[in-house]
Amino acid sequence: MRRIGNTAIAAVTAVALCSGAWLLADGTETHAPPQPSAAEARPGRPDPGSAPALPPSPPDRVRIPSIHVDAPLMGLGLTETGSLDVPPPERENLAGWYEAGTTPGETGTAIVAGHVDNADGPAVFYDLGALKRGATIEVDRRDGTVAVFTVDTVETYEARNFPDAKVYGAAERPELRVITCGGGYSRATGYQGNIVVFAHLTGSRPG
Amino acid sequence: MRRTAARLLTGTAFAVAAVAGTAAPAYGTGGGTGRLEVYPSTAVPGGQVTVNTAACADGGAAGDAGAVGAGRFILAPSARRGEAVGQFRVPPSAQPGTYEIVAQCAADGRKVTGDLVVMLSSQRQQVYPRGSVKTGVGGALGPDPVQTAAGVAALAVAAAGGTWLLHRRARGDGI
Repeated sequence: MRRIGNTAIAAVTAVALCSGAWLLADGTETHAPPQPSAAEARPGRPDPGSAPALPPSPPDRVRIPSIHVDAPLMGLGLTETGSLDVPPPERENLAGWYEAGTTPGETGTAIVAGHVDNADGPAVFYDLGALKRGATIEVDRRDGTVAVFTVDTVETYEARNFPDAKVYGAAERPELRVITCGGGYSRATGYQGNIVVFAHLTGSRPG
Repeated sequence: MRRTAARLLTGTAFAVAAVAGTAAPAYGTGGGTGRLEVYPSTAVPGGQVTVNTAACADGGAAGDAGAVGAGRFILAPSARRGEAVGQFRVPPSAQPGTYEIVAQCAADGRKVTGDLVVMLSSQRQQVYPRGSVKTGVGGALGPDPVQTAAGVAALAVAAAGGTWLLHRRARGDGI
């Protein structure tokens, strides 16, 4: 009886030792957000045709099922330097859209941005770099329609050489950009650039 | 075309409006649910406008954009948001100015209003953002506090178990 008790305690001790060592080693390791591969930066061969543009209507919510994103959208303006402002970082499941620009679904380039992480850990677009070509992005709009976009490419750009015209410039069809931080990271300067998802409208449905 | 001449802005005011950024929603008089949201609040002749209101969720509303020459339109109830939503097109011949858009609830006859500013396309210039976006601080890169605490707890259990076994062995309990 006593021997069984000793064996049980020895087994628990061994399991606790192993799992404790693993938890400590893994928990103190760095967990960098996923970065897009070079393959995602090349447009896929069959570019699905563009759907007819929707009338202007502000967006309420963005969903990216393949990376489990489902977040409300707030309106964003510009900072003093002319860069796109960002949502409050403490709300980790909140994204924003550039409300002085194009609304998602109408002709032109609509812009959505959100944090990859905040001081506490991963945020709404942590997995954006893992998004693949052909994935679906849905935007709920205030007029009750859902604009459905298909991802064309996923790119990484350095902050000091950011292609403004390509990312923000006008488009002749309804397009969407989804932006978060990415590229290299250094403790001194933070993330070196942005991950930018390029997508275009391929459908819409009633919400 | 019926135009609310009294509400026409001067050229100077237009310039100010153009600089101030123009796409934020405009709200009519009355607080709470009694307002008509107009988007975009500044439109060009020929442009499409979406209006919505939470005041007429039951049964929708009859919209009137006659002030800007667009006539009557329907606001249908939108189940998802609990709001009535409608759309109309600003006539290509519309003159610059501020116009009152009206919606009357089908259920109780209540009227809600919102303002639409019409501006010539040459006056309206979209401002594009510049540069990269600051959307991360590296907080996901550090140690995971929960996992670290769990690891420490598991090691404490292991230490307690080990101590207990050593204690037994020292007493010659046959381990």
